[in-house]
Amino acid sequence: MEENKRELVSDSVPEWQLELDKVGFFRRILLARKWYGGDWWFVLISAILLLFVITVGVFPQWFAPFDPRAEVGPSLLAPGEEAPGLNVLVLASSDADAFADVATKTSKIGYLMGSPATQTIRDTVSTLNDEAEAQGLGNIYQPRSTRFETLDEGLAALNAGEIDSFVASDEELGGIDTAALGYKELEILSGSKASSFILGTNQIGQDILSRIIWGTRIALIVGLLSAVISFVIGVPLGLISGFIGGTFDRILTLFMDSLYTFPGLILAIAIASVLGAGIGNIIVAISVLYIPTYFRIVRGQTLSVKNELYVEAARSLGTRPREILFKYIFPNVLPSVVIIFSVNVADAILTEAGLSFIGLGLPPDTPDWGIDLARGQDYLRRAWWLITFPGVMVTLVTLSFSMLGESLSEILNPRLAEL
Amino acid sequence: MSSSFRKFLITRVLLTIPMVLILVSLIFFVMRILPGDPIRSQLGPRVSEEQADVLRERLGLNDPILVQYGNYLKDIVTLNFGNALTQGERPIRDELGERLPATLELTIPAMLFTSVFGVGLGAFAAKHRKKAIDYIIRLFSIFIYSIPIFFMGLIFQIIFGVSLDWLPLSGRMDPMLLTTFQSKTNFYVLDAILTQNWPALWSAITHLIMPSITLGLALMGVFIRLTRANMIEMLRSDFIAAGKARGISEKRLVYHHALRNTFIPILTLIGLQTAILIAGAVLTETTFSWPGIGRYLVERIALRDYTAVQSTIAMFAFFVAIISLVMDLLNAVIDPRIRY
Repeated sequence: MEENKRELVSDSVPEWQLELDKVGFFRRILLARKWYGGDWWFVLISAILLLFVITVGVFPQWFAPFDPRAEVGPSLLAPGEEAPGLNVLVLASSDADAFADVATKTSKIGYLMGSPATQTIRDTVSTLNDEAEAQGLGNIYQPRSTRFETLDEGLAALNAGEIDSFVASDEELGGIDTAALGYKELEILSGSKASSFILGTNQIGQDILSRIIWGTRIALIVGLLSAVISFVIGVPLGLISGFIGGTFDRILTLFMDSLYTFPGLILAIAIASVLGAGIGNIIVAISVLYIPTYFRIVRGQTLSVKNELYVEAARSLGTRPREILFKYIFPNVLPSVVIIFSVNVADAILTEAGLSFIGLGLPPDTPDWGIDLARGQDYLRRAWWLITFPGVMVTLVTLSFSMLGESLSEILNPRLAEL
Repeated sequence: MSSSFRKFLITRVLLTIPMVLILVSLIFFVMRILPGDPIRSQLGPRVSEEQADVLRERLGLNDPILVQYGNYLKDIVTLNFGNALTQGERPIRDELGERLPATLELTIPAMLFTSVFGVGLGAFAAKHRKKAIDYIIRLFSIFIYSIPIFFMGLIFQIIFGVSLDWLPLSGRMDPMLLTTFQSKTNFYVLDAILTQNWPALWSAITHLIMPSITLGLALMGVFIRLTRANMIEMLRSDFIAAGKARGISEKRLVYHHALRNTFIPILTLIGLQTAILIAGAVLTETTFSWPGIGRYLVERIALRDYTAVQSTIAMFAFFVAIISLVMDLLNAVIDPRIRY
């Protein structure tokens, strides 16, 4: 046993393996394996998160049960809450058998003000019309509706024959015995295609789950595209500026440094407020912010690599400057740029959400997390789910890219991983 | 004052001038050259072209661009931003002056909170490197960095404002108290203490807790990480080993000797964080309806009041440049090596 241990302690054994002997069970699992220098569990978590986010963002239609823009249910339904069924009451003496009998163009329907019946009746009537259309009958259903302040007024109107039917939920009826009062219930209308929504509905009856799933796509498009644009502009500028030096370099550096110290969100606000709403404009506004980040890192690295012996050797062999720049210097700069890229995507998504939150950014009907958060703020006291789910999605996506950046920096900068 | 410090001071102050100039010019050209007509979008499509032209003429937007640019720079130097286009057309300078204390009252406690806890947690994690608590603090720092600040604020509002009903949801003070509250400096906490108005002080403090902790937490991630990295570096250095050999307790070594030497990078970080602090303040003020400069900016954007937006942003630029100058000078005072 003692022999074996001695055997292990050699120069070829990395430090983390030695530490395994000294630590307890849980930390032994956590430290057990390095994936190119990164902690395996850290890389694993970020990989799972990223895979999830990217799958949802690329194929939202596979996961979203509804159209994110469509009003598919009653408003402000809590997660998992059943949509209230609505009773259709008619006088017991009426000869109507189904809702269709009291929904023709000549019939009148009554319900309470602010009742979910508005939406439900509209949906049911449109379904009936679609069926009639299919049979070649045309739009034959179009009841006229009357709203009442109280249940008593509504039932009185029904008794007086002013309306043909009265639509109300159980809650609105308040547990009265409809049969004893001389009414009959025709059927229960659900109106919506689903009776409950996993994450609830928002104030205009859109399905929150579908909205946050489609929002993933928007966030990924904005995050990735703006990061790519900043990369494509910032990296070559940094390379050239560092390589050429002189006045050009000094002016560009001063400019980029000024831009860098300025609060990114405020600059994006300035650009977006002039350009107006639209996904392209937002991408432009955000990509401007991160150009200096690439520029500074790339320029710094170029300056330090430029005087290395192998670059000097290449130069003295008569290699053209452009070749030196892209063949000898660029590959050395790349690792740190990759880390920045991943952090940049996370930052860009946060900025986009912030811009949408303060009302700059995307058109108001876009399924976007920032917009949903801003709209949900008005319903803070009544509907926690309007805010929680979009916010959790922003956090998850940002977290996955931040963790990717963290893992990458451990893998690519072994000196940092030591810490 | 040594001559090296004087030289550094002069160079650094002179360097601030082009920086401010670049920033305010950038804002000017962004607002003016990018496609999109600010006057049109402010007035809406129903207003006739003649009326829009009258407004343009009054604001000097029909002048050649270089004349406009000159006027703009002159206005900034004299701090005369003109009047807002909307809502009573108040002078922008008065409005900003009134709202700046609100923003400072929010950001100063936030910065204190994040410096104390961020540095403390970072040092603690460094001391317990590679133990469970270190991993937890590290994950926490990534996590709070990833949460949008306004989402964090909204969640606090739901938990502490609505569910538990411990703290007020928004604003700076109870509206009932505000009707009788005399504010001279617009720092509500300070005013309440000066006038010995204790209910108002209590109200101002309870209103301050949620927004300032939200803003502080949002900044904390970076503080934790930087302190931790610097502390680990520091704990490996020779003077710590020497201290250990002399029998100085580990606690004293970590929190006294090592931590003191990480203050320079942390001070630099505080300077760099100003940018994030300002962006965070805009979002926090929007979330908590805090009547500061950030909220003013967002309100004016919604009204498409472009003179107010442009002046507010220019003021932010000015502010950032000054803070970065002050931080650099402080650094030079603390660490003489920086002067060269």
